[in-house]
Amino acid sequence: MSDAFKARAPFAPWDRRELPGLFSVEDTARRVGNYKWTEMRLFEVLGGWVATVPELDVKLVLGRHTYHHAWHAELWHKRLPELREMNQERMTVPANDAFVAFMDSVRDPEAPELTIEKLVGVYRVLIPRLIAVYTYHLNGTSTITDAPTIRSLKFALQDEFDDWRDGEMLLQSLIDTPEKVDRAARRQQELEKLYIRSGGIAGPGSLGETAEEQGAA
Amino acid sequence: MKKMLPESELARDERFVRSKIEDRIFDPRGPKLATRNTGPAMMATDRPAAAERSRSLMHGIFVGEIQALEGAGRTCFDFDDDEAPFQLKLDMARQCWDESRHCEISIKLGDHLGTEIGEYTESTFLYAAACNPDPVMRLTGVNRALEGLAIDVFNTMREFGKESTDPVLEFCEDWMLADEVTHVKMGSDWLRRLTEKDPERRERALEFQRTVDKIFNLGGFRGEQEENPVQLARRFRELAGFTDEENDSLSKLAAESTEEARQMSELLAGNN
Ligand SMILES: [Fe+2]
Ligand SMILES: [Fe+2]
Repeated sequence: MSDAFKARAPFAPWDRRELPGLFSVEDTARRVGNYKWTEMRLFEVLGGWVATVPELDVKLVLGRHTYHHAWHAELWHKRLPELREMNQERMTVPANDAFVAFMDSVRDPEAPELTIEKLVGVYRVLIPRLIAVYTYHLNGTSTITDAPTIRSLKFALQDEFDDWRDGEMLLQSLIDTPEKVDRAARRQQELEKLYIRSGGIAGPGSLGETAEEQGAA
Repeated sequence: MKKMLPESELARDERFVRSKIEDRIFDPRGPKLATRNTGPAMMATDRPAAAERSRSLMHGIFVGEIQALEGAGRTCFDFDDDEAPFQLKLDMARQCWDESRHCEISIKLGDHLGTEIGEYTESTFLYAAACNPDPVMRLTGVNRALEGLAIDVFNTMREFGKESTDPVLEFCEDWMLADEVTHVKMGSDWLRRLTEKDPERRERALEFQRTVDKIFNLGGFRGEQEENPVQLARRFRELAGFTDEENDSLSKLAAESTEEARQMSELLAGNN
C-alpha cells in the first residue's frame, strides 16, 4: 500500500483545539445580538458626527471608521441565522436599559467644540470595552464548534485595535492643555460610571464575572 | 445629537470660506468676465485658462467630497431602524469610507495642481440634497443626482489628465470614477427596491432628482456642448444604471440651463 493511505491522526500534533467552550448556542446568539446592536449604534453616530467636527483629520478618520463598525454589524447580522436565530431583528437588542442609557450618553455630544468629548466616549471608553468583551468571547468559546464566531471576532478585533490607536492618537494631539486633560478625564469618568451600571456590552457577565461568581468569591 | 443637521451647521475649520450659490451666479463681475475671450469653457489643454480652471474645479471637487461624506454619514444617523433598512445604512457607511478617501485624494491632487484648502469659496448646495427627511428622496437626490454629477466631473477631469499627459491626475480620477459608479448604482438599486410597490413615491423621488439635477447643471456648468466645463459621461452613467432615456432628458435639461445662462449673461452685459 502506498504511503498516501497510511492512517494519520485527525488532529496534527500542533493542533491543540479543544471541544469545551463557555457558551451555548443560545448564549452565543444573545451575545452576538448585543454586539450587533452596539456596533450599529456606534457606526451611526460616527457617521452623524462627521458633519459636526471642524477638524479635517478627525472628520476623515470618522468617515473611515464608520464603515469598519458597519461591517462588524454586518458580520454579526450574518452570524445570527447560523445560530438558529432566523429573526435577526428579534435578537438585535441592547443588553439592558442601563446600556441604552450609556450608549445615549456616548452619542449625545453634537456641538463643534466637543470633539474631545465625542472621541473620549468612543476611543477611551466604548472601543476598549469592545476589545475586552470580544477578547473574553474569543478566549472562552469552543475552538472547534464555534470557529465561525472566532473568525468574525478576530476580524473585528483587528479593526478595533487599529481604530483605537487612530482615535487615541487624535485625542493625544487634541489634548494640549491641563484644562483639556481635565475635560477628557471628566467625560471618561462620567461614561465609565454609566457603563458599569449596565454590566457591560453583553450585560452582567460581559467579562465572565456573573453575580453568582462574584458572590462565591 | 439631533437628527437632521441643517446646511448652516456643517462644521469647518478657519480656512474655509462659505459662499451662497446665488452670490456666485449674480456676481456683478460675471458679465465683464463673460465678455473677455477666454475660449469655450470645456476643460481642454489649449484653453487659455485651463490651469486656473483645473485648480478651481479640483477645489470644488474637494469641498464636494466633504459634503458627500457628510451626507452619507448623516443618512447612517438620521433614520431609525424602521425608517431605513439596515442594508441601506451599511451601503451608506461604505460610502462614508469611499468619500473619506476621495477627500484625501482631492487634497493631494489639489497640492499636485497647485491650489490649497480655502483658496476658493465653498457653497454647500450639494449637502442640501442630503437634508431631505424622506430616505427615498434623499437617496435619489444624493446617490443619483449628486453622485451622477460626480461621475461627469471625474470623467471630465480624467480626460483632462489624459490630454495634459498628467498620469497622476488621470490615475486618481479613474479610481474615484469607479467608486462613484458604485454609489450611483446603490442609489438606482435602492430607489427600485424601496418604491417597488409605490409608483407614486418613485415618481416623487424622480421629480426631486430632476430638481436637484437642474440645480447641478448650474447655469451651463454641465452639458454636452463646448461651453460646458463638465461633460455628461454617458457611458459611465449607463454602467451606473441610468437609462438612455434618462441621459437624453438630462442632456436636454442641461442644454436649457446653458441657454438660460447665455441669455442671462447677455442681459447683464447689456445692462452694464
Ligand atoms: Fe466621492
Ligand atoms: Fe460618491
